Amino acid sequence: MVTERVKKILLITILINIVLVATHKGEFWPFSIFPMFSISGQPFLRGVVEEVENIDRPNLWRVKPLYKIEERVISLQEYGINPFDFANYIKKTKYWDAEKINGLRSTFQIECYSDKMWMITRVKGFFNDDNEIVIYTYPMFLLTGDTTYKNPNLSTIAKIDE
Amino acid sequence: MNKLLHNLFELDSPESAGTKLQLRVFELFTVVYTLYYSWEWAYYIQRLSDVILPLGLANYIDVEFFFETNLAFVNAGLITVFILVPLITKRLRWTYAPAFVLFHIQYVVRFSQGQIPHSSNLIGFSLLGLALGGVFIRDIKRALPFAFGFTIFFTGLAYTSAGVSKLIASGLTWPDGYHLWLWIGEKSVDLLSRTSELQLNPIQQLALSSRFIATLILLSGILTELSAFLLWWKKFRPFIFTLLIMMTFGIYVTMNIFFKAFVIEFIIIGYPWNRFVNYLLNYSNTIKFKAASRWLLY
Repeated sequence: MVTERVKKILLITILINIVLVATHKGEFWPFSIFPMFSISGQPFLRGVVEEVENIDRPNLWRVKPLYKIEERVISLQEYGINPFDFANYIKKTKYWDAEKINGLRSTFQIECYSDKMWMITRVKGFFNDDNEIVIYTYPMFLLTGDTTYKNPNLSTIAKIDE
Repeated sequence: MNKLLHNLFELDSPESAGTKLQLRVFELFTVVYTLYYSWEWAYYIQRLSDVILPLGLANYIDVEFFFETNLAFVNAGLITVFILVPLITKRLRWTYAPAFVLFHIQYVVRFSQGQIPHSSNLIGFSLLGLALGGVFIRDIKRALPFAFGFTIFFTGLAYTSAGVSKLIASGLTWPDGYHLWLWIGEKSVDLLSRTSELQLNPIQQLALSSRFIATLILLSGILTELSAFLLWWKKFRPFIFTLLIMMTFGIYVTMNIFFKAFVIEFIIIGYPWNRFVNYLLNYSNTIKFKAASRWLLY
């Protein structure tokens, strides 16, 4: 027989669940409204890191379709970086002060790879007028062992919304 | 109401070895995955420097001090002790409660970067069920069936809620195949970022070749989610868990996201393994099992 106690525990937990998700934008782990993939048809913003060999190339800071840099994208998994954390970090940061940029450098531990030059790149995908998916890349920062170069149009790129 | 609770919390042949074994496997699975996540997150937390999005208790406690110290390892160590003690000794089951709180803290520290993953929520519900059972019911004979039913209840609620969220946020056009096309594009970028490779598999190519097929894929997904509350009734449970497992594999092949822990847990809790084990034991020499069961079961 299910006891009154079991019934009470379940009902109180459901109540706590409702209160917590209602007051915390739908998320209070493990309680959630589970909104994954609920908003459909919206453009997406992600991030990739491009390996750069020549810092003087003319199109370094230009917006490009993804296929133009696809071959040079590095595997974040190989460097122990979670791609979702990285994408969210560059997606949700609207104002890039020294602290935010240092956070990026520290995540990548770029000082340990002094021979590398990594372009932190925003990616936006959306439907064009012909109902085809197009994906563009927006260079933001070039990280080297000792320097961070900013895209001259960074403030515009940082405000691109989904 | 009472019939529903009976379906959730009353197991067939509660005193049988088959039922006890299924419940203990469920408990072991919860402990193993809690350990796995706690330590994996502890290592990752060392690389973080900034809270981007505070979740849960991180809305009230500034968790940045975890980034500059080894506290995440201390936390993982405490969780380890608090969950191994009741698993091994079968006593002091209330220690699942502090383990749950500390596990919540480990989660909000690790996922303070803007991403809100739901891959560990089911483990969270299982551990919460063990914690509530340990504190308010205590006796393992009743606490374990409670945790089991509690997990099934919240699994059904979670998936149905996911389906309803989609309808509320996007309306009846949510399953439009165009939406899947965009998600396939998004997840392909994630895969490229993770592995530096971008290649569509045959299922993704098929979905992208036809809006109708893509629509059917999304439609089957949302119907499965909306029907998940039927898990609360025993007679539908194996069928709905099978649909959820199929949907999980569907998500994997279309969007490159695999909820491994979910599939394993669905297999453990979704089917009447207790009956199967009892049937086997009736037809085999049980002396050795009886000796082992004194230690493994309860």
